[in-house]
Amino acid sequence: MRLLGSLSFRLALIYAFLFAISTALTVGGYYLLNIRNPMGKVRSGVQVEAAMLAGTYVTEGQEALVRELQERQRSDAERKPFHAFIAPDGKTIIHNLPGWPEYHGAGWQMIEADLYVGSGESDHFSLTWDRKFNDGARLLVGRDVEDLLERQEFAGEAAAWMLVSALLLGIPGGALLSLAIGRRIDTISATARRVMAGDLSGRIPLQGSNDDFDRLAETLNLMLARIEELLVSIRRLSDSVAHELRTPLARLSADLSELETADADTRPQLTRAALDEADKLIRLFDMVLRIARIEGLRHATSFGEVDLSALATDAIEFYQPAIEERELRLDVRIEPGRIIVGDGHMLAQAIGNLLDNAIKYTPPGGRIALHVLAVADAIELHIVDSGPGIPPDQRERVWGRFIRLAETAHEPGTGLGLPFVKAVADVHETAINLYDAGPGLHVVWKFPQPK
Amino acid sequence: MQILLIEDDARVAAHVSKGLGEVGHIVEHKADGRAGLLQAAAEYYDVIILDRMLPHVDGLTILQTLRATGDATPVLILSALNDVDERVRGLRAGGDDYLSKPFALAELLARVEALGRRPQTAPEPTRITVADLEVDVVGRTVKRGGQRIELTSREFRILDYLIRNAGRVVTRAMLLENVWDYSFDPQTNIIDQHVSRLRQKMDRDYPVQLIHTVRGTGYVLREAQ
Repeated sequence: MRLLGSLSFRLALIYAFLFAISTALTVGGYYLLNIRNPMGKVRSGVQVEAAMLAGTYVTEGQEALVRELQERQRSDAERKPFHAFIAPDGKTIIHNLPGWPEYHGAGWQMIEADLYVGSGESDHFSLTWDRKFNDGARLLVGRDVEDLLERQEFAGEAAAWMLVSALLLGIPGGALLSLAIGRRIDTISATARRVMAGDLSGRIPLQGSNDDFDRLAETLNLMLARIEELLVSIRRLSDSVAHELRTPLARLSADLSELETADADTRPQLTRAALDEADKLIRLFDMVLRIARIEGLRHATSFGEVDLSALATDAIEFYQPAIEERELRLDVRIEPGRIIVGDGHMLAQAIGNLLDNAIKYTPPGGRIALHVLAVADAIELHIVDSGPGIPPDQRERVWGRFIRLAETAHEPGTGLGLPFVKAVADVHETAINLYDAGPGLHVVWKFPQPK
Repeated sequence: MQILLIEDDARVAAHVSKGLGEVGHIVEHKADGRAGLLQAAAEYYDVIILDRMLPHVDGLTILQTLRATGDATPVLILSALNDVDERVRGLRAGGDDYLSKPFALAELLARVEALGRRPQTAPEPTRITVADLEVDVVGRTVKRGGQRIELTSREFRILDYLIRNAGRVVTRAMLLENVWDYSFDPQTNIIDQHVSRLRQKMDRDYPVQLIHTVRGTGYVLREAQ
């Protein structure tokens, strides 16, 4: 019964069945065209002949009939003519049939009429019209239909063979097919189970034939690779979250245990330090959760029309004191009223983070630019700084959580600023890219024009 | 002030009650939503501190019920859900302020006092003076010792917020929310820089300092130290 449960086997059976039906149709068509129709023609021909001969007998008598029958036998017809005439007294007057059955009333008889010519025997069958006259005379008129009967027999045999072979080939063929396909599917499902069991490195072996299954396996392998990649990054993330949270926790714990035995003078200082660490932890935790929440948003319910120009202007104004403190030259070009669709709060913070980074990493006296402009089918936000920039091979990495580049690790920061920006860009389905500003970093955030 | 605290976590409640009590407020504590709602309806309070998630009756439901009965007591929502959406929902339901857990007691105190001071029906003052500082809220002019001081519009808004809360501590987060309408943590000292610029223009060179830094919390505008 496992075999019947296999799709490929069932398909093979269905195929065999369809093959049988098509065979039956072909044979049926052949029978109709090459046997039944010619047989019908012979029949009507014989009937006409018999009627004419009967007419001769009735109107002109026995002599005339015999003459006509003799003439008919001599004529060079395609189908060999057969006849027999029995006089009312039961005497056979003329015949070329080897024998005939008893009279059972007017009707068709199929009479075997093998001929022996010399040493050879030729098989014939006469399709014969049998009738009696009122005076008791009996006339049998027929034509040879041996070829048609042979054809009929052949067609029947052929049909039987084809049906039998369809079944004989179909069942083991189907079994074989289901075995072959089943084996391929089994390798795929074995790999899937391996991955399910936790071995993420499992991949489906390819046969190298580039057939359907190979292509399926290739796609599945790509999917597995992507899943593995994601899981590894999540694992790396949780490792770094644990690390980033552990450090302030450890400091907090140290402060508190010191506080236990500290004298009155150092107490406030230690308390302050402990509170600062707790504060840092809360901020980190908040940030991690916010990023996770934003990443988890699928359809953004809070989205509406947002004036990107106003957001950018506010952000510049907000960071103005820091910009002035570092004596940065500022190049602001914001086309007014550039409207996009999004969440104003998220975008404000994301732009703030980008600007904060730009200010933080640009050495005093450097240059910062912020542009908002409409291009062909998009609205672009550019933030350019003249800081150290990010090496090309690191540009994808910086979107990851808790990534601090070695060059700037001494700067204060949580390693969550850019991941937040990335999460916001993703939930807005917008592209954000980093380029070299030679020297410095050029961030381009591209928003679609609202419809 | 008479304060009703509806909070199911005993430790948080004790911490808050103690902190508010120490500065002279009278705190009534209810640990579940139903009791809290009944208490709020039964007595007059200056401020209600309401936990967002409570047993029996959810915090937002209490708030909506209160507002539906025409009770306009200022409500500060406490919540472990720190999200802009959550915040907007809380404020939309009739909350007056929103503070996410965990919070510093100083932050809570500052916000409670700002809420309690909020005049519920009185007309907005057009002119506020503290010592020799004179702020015309409508005309948006600032005078110190009779002399006019030019401020940028943002600086004016900071001062406006500080002077409306004169004598009460204003935290950085409160400034961020009320002056910039930002509800995120900028993770830098940028607020301090803004306040510092404001001070430079209208405080630093005068004999009496009016804007004072409250360590670890924020600022207060008042005459004496």
